Amino acid sequence: MARKRTNPTSGPGEANASLDVASRRHRRLLPLYAITGILLAVLFGQLGREQFVNRPEYLEREKQQTLRRIILPAPRGTIYDRDGRLLAGNRATFSASVFLDELRPAFREEYIRQVRAVRERERATGEPAETSNRDLVWRARMAVIRRHLDTLEGLIGRELDMSLATLRGHFHQRILLPLPLVENLTEEEYATLIDQLPKDSPIVVATDSARYYPYGPLAAHTLGYVVNQPEEVPEDLSGDDLLTFSRYGKRGKAGVEREFEADLHGDSGEEVWRVDPQGFQFERVDFRQPVVGGDVYLSLDAEVQQAAERALDGYVGAAVALDPQTGEVLALASRPTYDLNELTPRIPSPVFARINEKGAWLNRAVQGLYPPGSTFKPVTAMAALREDQVEPEETLWCGTSYLVGNRRFPEHSSPGFGDIALERALAVSSNVYFYQTGLAAGAEAIADTARVLGLATPTGVELPFETDDMLVPDPAWKRENRGEGWWPGDTANLSIGQGFLRVTPLQMAVVAASLATGETGIRPTLLRREGEGWLDRATRLPLPLSEEDREAIVAGMRAAVAEGTARRAQLPDIEVAGKTGTAQVYPGGKARTLAWFIGFAPVQNPRIAFAVVTESQEDGVEFAGGAQAAPIARAMLEAFFAQEEGVPGAPEAPFSPLVHRLGAREAVVQ
Amino acid sequence: MAGRNPLRDRPFAVLAVLILAWLLLPPAVQRFAGTAFSEFQAPAEEALSRVRDLGRYWSLRTLSRRELIETGRELSRLNALYRLQAGETEALRQYNARLRGLLDLPEPVGFRREVARVTGRELTNWWQSVTIRKGREDGIRPGHGVVFAGGVVGRVREVFAGTARVELVTSPGFRMAAHFEGDRRPVRYEGRPVGLLTDPEGQVRDVPSDFFASPEEPLELVSSRLGGVFPDGLPLGTVERLQTGPSGLFQTGPVLLDPGLLTLEEVAVLVPETRGGPGDAEP
Repeated sequence: MARKRTNPTSGPGEANASLDVASRRHRRLLPLYAITGILLAVLFGQLGREQFVNRPEYLEREKQQTLRRIILPAPRGTIYDRDGRLLAGNRATFSASVFLDELRPAFREEYIRQVRAVRERERATGEPAETSNRDLVWRARMAVIRRHLDTLEGLIGRELDMSLATLRGHFHQRILLPLPLVENLTEEEYATLIDQLPKDSPIVVATDSARYYPYGPLAAHTLGYVVNQPEEVPEDLSGDDLLTFSRYGKRGKAGVEREFEADLHGDSGEEVWRVDPQGFQFERVDFRQPVVGGDVYLSLDAEVQQAAERALDGYVGAAVALDPQTGEVLALASRPTYDLNELTPRIPSPVFARINEKGAWLNRAVQGLYPPGSTFKPVTAMAALREDQVEPEETLWCGTSYLVGNRRFPEHSSPGFGDIALERALAVSSNVYFYQTGLAAGAEAIADTARVLGLATPTGVELPFETDDMLVPDPAWKRENRGEGWWPGDTANLSIGQGFLRVTPLQMAVVAASLATGETGIRPTLLRREGEGWLDRATRLPLPLSEEDREAIVAGMRAAVAEGTARRAQLPDIEVAGKTGTAQVYPGGKARTLAWFIGFAPVQNPRIAFAVVTESQEDGVEFAGGAQAAPIARAMLEAFFAQEEGVPGAPEAPFSPLVHRLGAREAVVQ
Repeated sequence: MAGRNPLRDRPFAVLAVLILAWLLLPPAVQRFAGTAFSEFQAPAEEALSRVRDLGRYWSLRTLSRRELIETGRELSRLNALYRLQAGETEALRQYNARLRGLLDLPEPVGFRREVARVTGRELTNWWQSVTIRKGREDGIRPGHGVVFAGGVVGRVREVFAGTARVELVTSPGFRMAAHFEGDRRPVRYEGRPVGLLTDPEGQVRDVPSDFFASPEEPLELVSSRLGGVFPDGLPLGTVERLQTGPSGLFQTGPVLLDPGLLTLEEVAVLVPETRGGPGDAEP
């Protein structure tokens, strides 16, 4: 039996003492345990807080750090003329690009190769190389890109280059987007790359769209052009704090392309990518398809527009045709012009400079300010008739000149016209007759009539940059702006559309439309209108003139075409009413002549009103409204009336949703 | 409780060791081994195809004299027809050359046709190819186009001494430029894997949005010479359906290919001719 061995020196009292020590120690440890426990509790509490309470915040931060958004531009809507002819559409463009994340193994391999080469060089020379690691990284990346450029050069036979700055810029700002190596591939180059590049090559043959204008320079100023720029981030996207990259989209810069940008642009799409720590794309987590932009149906008639532009060839000037009943613009041409296809997909600098040098960016139809010359005489006549200062049948003596104050104002025809009434005065465009009637009516009355006809304000046509510098002078204006009094000579000048008066060709077309319909407040529009419901009747008012007086003015304009100054505008079976004009301007001190012609047809049931202006470019060349401007108007009229039977083969244009919307807005106004 | 039998896992271990050893081999050795395997495999495939030819020969020997006479007559009729068509083609070719001369247009790249017998097929979801009985010694190089009576077959992918492997138009890795008959704009054709017992099919992409196809009015897809691999106008397939893509500018659609692609016996490799080189050489 085993005996329990005890320490003879230790008794029960000692055992208790050691227990006391242990328990004392234990007690001393208690605060430590407590502190440790508290700290652990705090730690676990904080952990729990971070894991459960702050979870959404961390998730959001994780999302911001790992998710990237790419904005995808939508295909742009197309623009048609009133008969559904395509004026601006989209064409395919081809390019070859690489996604940088697919090149990462190649970058790495090339980097290792470069490092080895540097080390070998250091060993050989015994001197440290003066190349930083960063330089080696970029050199490796550039070398890989150069290899791919060489591959493409070998296949398509085109010299290709890319600067280090371009590559760096793409890495820093557009890393998720493909890096374009070559753009605007021809069809042959596209086919070569499709055939001869392996399908698993990192070089991607991509398609994109560029604006396409099947008629080239036709209505260039009206249609306008687009520029490439990174797509704007739509406002309705969720997670607007994500780092976002935008592909290049198109934005209207001028003309209809700019004015109807919101409709043509479409809704951008988006891709959301999860990226790795280096920022390269890892997986696509969200995708929203872009929605193609809406189509716009213009009021322009491609046939009339083409006729106007062909007739204007070789001139500097503008031609406008309107439907006087609806205000729809049928043609709006300006010369010099440019080929819209030269501006797409990008505007090359030499092309921009050439257009600039010609002064072709200016849309003379809505931005050109000219004295209207004798085409203003119907307005003077209207003022005199309104003021009862003249009767249509009343004859006035029109000699070779007329004395105003101490200055003699000449007639344009040296023998003068003798005793003539309003109709004859308009037909032969007598200056002396209108000096007399203008002076009788007074400058205030003429200016007021011009304002009633809309000559003092922009027309409001749907085009950007329509000038608002038009000027209908009156004594108050002269006093305010020139600090001078108004002289009778100023009234005489104003009576024949000279002096300070400045208007645009579109405004004069509106004047012609007013004379045709007997209404003021005609608002020209570039959108095709259908049905009476869409007419902008709210702004229309009858001319402040009796119907007999209006008919007297129209009779004068009819006579001008039948037997007067505008005989070159005659049409075989259609009666045309018109008024020619010739005015002088002095740009840069050089005398230049303007040839004008305004009018409408047919006289009984007007369906087209027009205004044409051309600027003489050389001294000593005979330049007059009847000789230069009237034939251009006749070309437009011929094209317009040739289509009476409709356009064979032209598709029936559906009703423009854009017009529906505008119409609804106008209906509310009514 | 029964213990785990270590012998049962041995094959997996051996396989893992072998795979590891293969992965550790230098790339040059791997390439050499692959090529050597193909070169050794080629004679076996060729022998097999010759055995098949022999079998077909003996099966033909069983035909009666009457059947042989009928077949011979049919053949001579076809021969006469083809001679006539060849004459017409030659006349058209000369007419075309005269017009080119008048218009000062460059002569298109010509092709020598190297006819070869198909000795093997590999049709999987990843890779679709045939092996032909002609190779490097016959002037065949990777990238050369391959055609048959029904149109385009594919492109030469690998070339060995006496054989070559042709990637079929149905292979998912195949891509070529094409165009629709009557239109010059190039489109992109891509292969699609063929399911078992289904007709071969491909896909056409980058089709301009003004094309319309339906089963009643299918579009004929033909090869484009723009890519430089195929002559113009060789049939690729028909398109009965097109769908507008997300850009709204282009359409995509399936291409129905010639079912004969899956039972190829003879094909012709298009070997580009150098200018002033020999004319077409029949084997």
